[in-house]
Amino acid sequence: MLAARSLSVERSGRKVVRDVSFNIQAGEVHALLGGNGAGKSTTLLTFLGFLQPSSGSVEVRGLEVNGNVEAARRAIAYLPEAASLYGHLNAFENLRYFLSLAGADTSRKELDAALDSVALQADARGMRMRTYSKGMRQKVAIALAILRNTPILLLDEPTSGLDPVAIDEFNRLVRDLAGAGRTILLVTHDVYGACHVADRIDLLQNGALVGAFERPAGMDRIDTEAVHAAFARHAGAIQ
Amino acid sequence: MIGVNGLSREVGFLARDRAALLWLGIAVLIAGVSVALGLREIASQHAVLDDLRASDQAEREVVTDLYRDWGDVAYYTFHLTYDPPADFAFAALGQRDISPWKHNIRALALEGQIYETDAQNPDFALIGRFDFAFAASLLAPLLLILLLHDLRSGERAAGRFELLGATAASQGSPWFARAALRTGALALCLIAPLWIGGLSSGSGVSKLALASLVVALHIVFWWVVCALVDRAGWSSPVNLTALVGVWLALAVVVPTAIKVWVEAAVPLPDGGEIMLTQREAVNDAWDLPKPATMTPFIERHPEWADYVEVRQPFEWKWYYAFQQVGDQTVAPLSLAYRDGRARRDRLAGSLAWLAPPALAERSLQAIAGTGVAASLAYEQRVRDFHSALRNYYYPRLFREEPFTEASVASRPEFDALKRPEATTPPLRGTPP
Repeated sequence: MLAARSLSVERSGRKVVRDVSFNIQAGEVHALLGGNGAGKSTTLLTFLGFLQPSSGSVEVRGLEVNGNVEAARRAIAYLPEAASLYGHLNAFENLRYFLSLAGADTSRKELDAALDSVALQADARGMRMRTYSKGMRQKVAIALAILRNTPILLLDEPTSGLDPVAIDEFNRLVRDLAGAGRTILLVTHDVYGACHVADRIDLLQNGALVGAFERPAGMDRIDTEAVHAAFARHAGAIQ
Repeated sequence: MIGVNGLSREVGFLARDRAALLWLGIAVLIAGVSVALGLREIASQHAVLDDLRASDQAEREVVTDLYRDWGDVAYYTFHLTYDPPADFAFAALGQRDISPWKHNIRALALEGQIYETDAQNPDFALIGRFDFAFAASLLAPLLLILLLHDLRSGERAAGRFELLGATAASQGSPWFARAALRTGALALCLIAPLWIGGLSSGSGVSKLALASLVVALHIVFWWVVCALVDRAGWSSPVNLTALVGVWLALAVVVPTAIKVWVEAAVPLPDGGEIMLTQREAVNDAWDLPKPATMTPFIERHPEWADYVEVRQPFEWKWYYAFQQVGDQTVAPLSLAYRDGRARRDRLAGSLAWLAPPALAERSLQAIAGTGVAASLAYEQRVRDFHSALRNYYYPRLFREEPFTEASVASRPEFDALKRPEATTPPLRGTPP
């Protein structure tokens, strides 16, 4: 569903992604783990066509993104880090606006169901989002990604700002979505979360892949200790 | 392009954007106030003309009752000439602030009478009046800049740019729809008060439509400028600074440079010089031998060659002859002045393509008939009328015809409604 082939990306004359390759199958949760500036978000933005590879390529559903940006974006729901939706609109209005932008027509019942799935309080949904906490805003953005009903989700630090309970709920939600056949690429510096939710973790350091971990058959998570150790060894510090 | 869904989505979005609504509200206010002020000014000019027309008729009746000599009648009778404001003049007052649009003239030397009249307030020549043309050409671009300068950069700063781009079904969405809607809304906020004012003042629909087209094209030009700056990917403050800089250059610096250059390239005598030269010529004539006046007069009017002998120290025909010679003396200056004004206007019109706000303002003035061409055309109508007056009085003065009220009834009247098209008139010297 998603593939990076010898991907390198330059920003402001500096190479921030170096010769990265991976392939993500349908229904798989793939995590790119790394510290700040490792090239995680840059990789995501390349899949969305906002950045061009300086060499190599990225593919969405077998189509090279370069030249097929609209088709790629139609297949992807994107959750940016610390998504800031419109503060002067309430949750319903924000969701309706963005879904309309995507060409989708969604009922109030479906909106409520998505907001239920991210556990946003019912009494907050009609309030302007400028009154929301960071976590509440993130929940609405996650609901938007779910409502897009696309085969692929790109999630950039999705649990940023969420409390531990909400993080657990989110991780369960991601597994459910994957179970329903969605392909998920998430980038994070949260070792624990990545190990619990991902089928595969690629460790990024200075734009290059420096390690890969897979969920062993029959296990419910990747070995946190092993990933932690590798992360510490390569990054020098755990975020 | 924008679909119905996209349009209704962005209309709903715009309706909740308080900042955008504030700027659009200010646009309505500015356009409304400028239209109201323009209508008030035109109503005031009509009221002035009503008063002047009433007193003009009354004064002429008094003179006719008091005097029974053609020389006295010609001397004491004033004739109101005026350029009534066109029905669309409220939108672009143009030269009506700077150049005289009414004269009370006599059958004396004319050129001084034309140029001794001053504008009501010369300061307006510098700053212009707050009319619709000013609002639409100079202020509207600023409002559009405020509406569009952070279209993308604001979303980028808020962290929504990629989310919007990744969510949108097409790559141009929602930017084109947003910009088009804001641009269209601003144009509507400007044009609606213009139509209300125009229809209430009896302006023709074709003029209103043409003026609306000018405003719309001008706004679209600034939309393109905003889009080009926005594409640079700068932050909102940098975009705003750059756009205000472009506005300053195109609305202030370039028009000023054009004005300075045009004035240097096309020198012309000033109206005061014409007036003084003519007065000196007329005053000197009192002390000169009579032939010094009558000879040049006859060169222009050979038909009166048999009547030029002046036996008395004062005769009306000699008096009016040296008035005529006064005009003849300044004819080259006057022609140079008018020719210079017309050439400056044409040159400024060509160079206005470098400054779209100036071009928009000039276009609106052309539609309103308040540009330099219209002002020159009015002056020429005054000259034509004055020429008709002389042609009426000369036979009565030179042949010393007896005064009759029936003859007074055939005296030419100024027809203000005989308006030529507002194009540059043919430049003629002082009529014979």
